[in-house]
Amino acid sequence: MKFTGVRKLWHGVASLIVLSAFLSLEFYTNLFEKSVGYYLKWQNHKRPQLGRMWEQDRQSLVAQAKIKSIRSTLDLQEEATLGIPSFKHLFEDISPGFPLVVSREKFLQLYYDFPGQWSERIISSYDLIDLDSKKIWDRVLLKRFGPWITLQFIDRQNIPIHELFISVDTLFEVQATRTVKRGTLEESNFIVNRIFSISEFLPILKSLDSVTQKAVFPQPRWFLAKNYHVTRVGISDFPAGNLSQHLLFGVEYDTDYYTGVLLVPVAMELANNIMSQIEKADLTELNSNEALSALGESS
Amino acid sequence: MIGRLLTALNLVLLTSILLVVLVVSSLYLWLNQDLPQLPENLQHINLSLPTEIYSSDGERIKILGERHPIALEDISPFFTKAIIGVEDSRFYSHSGIDHRGLVRALWTNFRQKRIAQGGSTITQQLSKNLFFSFERNWVRKIKELLIAFQLEATFNKDQILQAYCNQIYFGSGAYGVEEAAQIYFGKRAKDLTLLQAALLAGLPNSPNNANPFSHYERAMQRTNYVLNRMVSENLISFDEKELAQQSNLDLINPRVESNPNFYFVDQVLEQIERSYGKEFVHFGGLKIFTTLDTRYQKIAFKSAHNHLEDLEGKIVKKLSDGPLQAALVSVENKSGAVRAMLGGKDYSYSQFNRSVSNNRMPGSSFKPFVYFTAMKELGYSPSSVVVDEPLTIPIPGSEPWSPQNFDQEFAGNIILKKALMKSINIISAKLINEVGIEKVIKTARRFGIKSSLGKNPSLALGTSGLSPYEVASAYSVIANLGIYNEPYLIQHIEDFQGNRLYENYYHGVQQFLPESLYPLLNMMQGVIDGGTGRVVRRMGFRHPAGGKTGTTNDFKDAWFNGFTKDISTSVWVGFDNNQPMKEKSGKGLTGASAAAPIWVYFMQKVLEGKSPVKFPVPDKIKFATVDVQTGYFPDELSVSTMQVAVKEDVELSAPLVVSEDQEPNETDVLPEPANTGYIKP
Repeated sequence: MKFTGVRKLWHGVASLIVLSAFLSLEFYTNLFEKSVGYYLKWQNHKRPQLGRMWEQDRQSLVAQAKIKSIRSTLDLQEEATLGIPSFKHLFEDISPGFPLVVSREKFLQLYYDFPGQWSERIISSYDLIDLDSKKIWDRVLLKRFGPWITLQFIDRQNIPIHELFISVDTLFEVQATRTVKRGTLEESNFIVNRIFSISEFLPILKSLDSVTQKAVFPQPRWFLAKNYHVTRVGISDFPAGNLSQHLLFGVEYDTDYYTGVLLVPVAMELANNIMSQIEKADLTELNSNEALSALGESS
Repeated sequence: MIGRLLTALNLVLLTSILLVVLVVSSLYLWLNQDLPQLPENLQHINLSLPTEIYSSDGERIKILGERHPIALEDISPFFTKAIIGVEDSRFYSHSGIDHRGLVRALWTNFRQKRIAQGGSTITQQLSKNLFFSFERNWVRKIKELLIAFQLEATFNKDQILQAYCNQIYFGSGAYGVEEAAQIYFGKRAKDLTLLQAALLAGLPNSPNNANPFSHYERAMQRTNYVLNRMVSENLISFDEKELAQQSNLDLINPRVESNPNFYFVDQVLEQIERSYGKEFVHFGGLKIFTTLDTRYQKIAFKSAHNHLEDLEGKIVKKLSDGPLQAALVSVENKSGAVRAMLGGKDYSYSQFNRSVSNNRMPGSSFKPFVYFTAMKELGYSPSSVVVDEPLTIPIPGSEPWSPQNFDQEFAGNIILKKALMKSINIISAKLINEVGIEKVIKTARRFGIKSSLGKNPSLALGTSGLSPYEVASAYSVIANLGIYNEPYLIQHIEDFQGNRLYENYYHGVQQFLPESLYPLLNMMQGVIDGGTGRVVRRMGFRHPAGGKTGTTNDFKDAWFNGFTKDISTSVWVGFDNNQPMKEKSGKGLTGASAAAPIWVYFMQKVLEGKSPVKFPVPDKIKFATVDVQTGYFPDELSVSTMQVAVKEDVELSAPLVVSEDQEPNETDVLPEPANTGYIKP
């Protein structure tokens, strides 16, 4: 009986020592907190991103997503602007209420890329030099209001340094309708007996006065600078689109990759005049060949 | 006996341990899904970039979400010692919870039967600041504790202390020790002295009550407490404490939150938030370039502030009236750029922007739109004669309306220009009655007025509320000879890499022909040169300018709106509670006495050093001197004459008068005066 009592006492003391040791361990090593902490750390990835900090993070992500979306829209617009193929398209691509912004470089590229004098009629190159001399011209803003198109030459702060108003009718002027197509003259429906080699045509072109020259043929620089090798010309026997009093004058050229045609609407009488001159030249040549043959020579 | 006692003690201890384990396990299971995930890096908390707002003259006028996270090495050791000493002296030895501190807090809370003491460690405070609300309840406290355990298990002590120092709130809008050091002492956190460090360390516990700007004594008491704690924790010596207490605190002046730019800034933020969302502005790390010219804004503030102080000394007011308020908006005519926007007398007193949100009756400021509609629709010119006489306008379904002139007198026959210069109410009422209210509203819309306009004849006297923002913009159409530029505040927005996200492009629309608008412009020049706004000239303003005064019934609102070739500015003065503004003598404050001086001072300073620029005169306009009563070229009977600008086709020669003995023919019949009181259209 006594032994049992001692044993119980001994057990009690032992338990107390164990418990005290456990408490001391906790007190000195923070065992409990560490265990909970490590367990939570182990489970961390399973828990949701809650609380003020993650909310801020989320808001930051929302903001960055918004910025990304705005930038991608702006990039698309910029790409579309960079892809504008011609000076005329620049004006045709403006929708009312949606202004178009092109860089100074792109504007000048399209301006000088136009195969004719029309771009010069919109704004003289001397005026461009005048604008450029201020060294603040950054971009061109194009807007359309009803029958009017506004061209604002703006600086980096979008302050207009020059403003032009042009009528939408300007886009339908004969000079504005010069277009470029891929393919040969035949593919553009020119018939064979109205197609001539460039060597046949050049003497006639040279004999024309400068105004007529400009009306049918762009500055030679337009072809030369682009490495376009002019091979043939043709005169259509059908009207130039909506211009019933005009025929199409086609200039075929070869590039390193493809054949292209520049289509220039010319007044019917001018086209007929050129046609007759080419035919006369052919006839003269034929006659001279016949005469030479008669003399026993050939050219 | 001892055995039973031991058994009981063992039972209690074992039960307690099991209970704690059980409770913690249950709590974990219960709260598991409410516990937040921890980031991999505590630096992550300060990653969002601030948004900066710039004025057009290149000054950074506001930074949003500014944080200055710094490394622990860049914090004065005095501060780290002080914050540990006062907030968590066993910081380096516990694992998220301070047993002794917790027992002490539990005992206090048990005695007081409420959560009176937190006993939170630095880790717990960081846990709370990063993830939890600030309400005091047991559930939040347990979650905070569990996350504190995890913080301790995940990061080392220095990382936790650094995050805490960068995150904690020190009052006066300062988050983080670096910002606090800047705000209170104008120095870097690494340069803090012991006294300054002790003051800052005392702030997180009571950032408002111990704020040295507002409660210096309490702040110093708290500082001394911190220093004593540092001594008792052996963090500093007694001598160091003594030395610190004798040193200068070098507290700098508090940041003045009455910056008048903030009215403009608030408007900018509101616009961007409306278009792109709140997150975009506050977390986008943007650079917002605005149209504000800080020079203009300073002048606007100074001119309004000085004149209001002067008026406050003269007027009679009740305590409930609050301070006399003013609003000013200045718009650049050629672009619509808002160069100055003052929304009230003092931003710190009231953030309500009276220049855009406070639609107050413009009074006679609205009359130019009525006169212009009459000239446009009825073919009148500034030389057309009207009769100023008692008038009653029947209103269907209501009492007839009998407008009164300001001076209760009638001028009789008078030309339109003179009538506008004298701001005669009867004439304005007659004109709206003749031309139709709808047409006047339509014209006002084309001038850019967007506020709702009442469809009643009293609109002629400016009884529909407008904001200075839209009045300045509408008047700029007159200065621009018909071109309306949408007013704007934001020039462009860039992201942190400098890519443009938004740009404003000028959007000028020719709303009216220059030759139609110039006569009105000339009439409004007359207002300043010799009409109700002549105070402008008397005060020495010499630039060519046009404008119009506006005073509403009982002197509740005073306006002066005017323009030069380049700038249009609108000024409003009044009480927020719509009380009359009367001097002690009983005389009311008018647009000329209350608002015009602010306009003059502002415009004079803004245009200082600039040459006067005349308004361009469009083609098809002629100038002539006419008789003020007949509107024709003056003759020997003319008493008063005046120069008018009219369209070329306006006939100014008096028709031939038929003598009684002569037969009348078709070409020289004297026209009958019209029923409406008009003699010569």
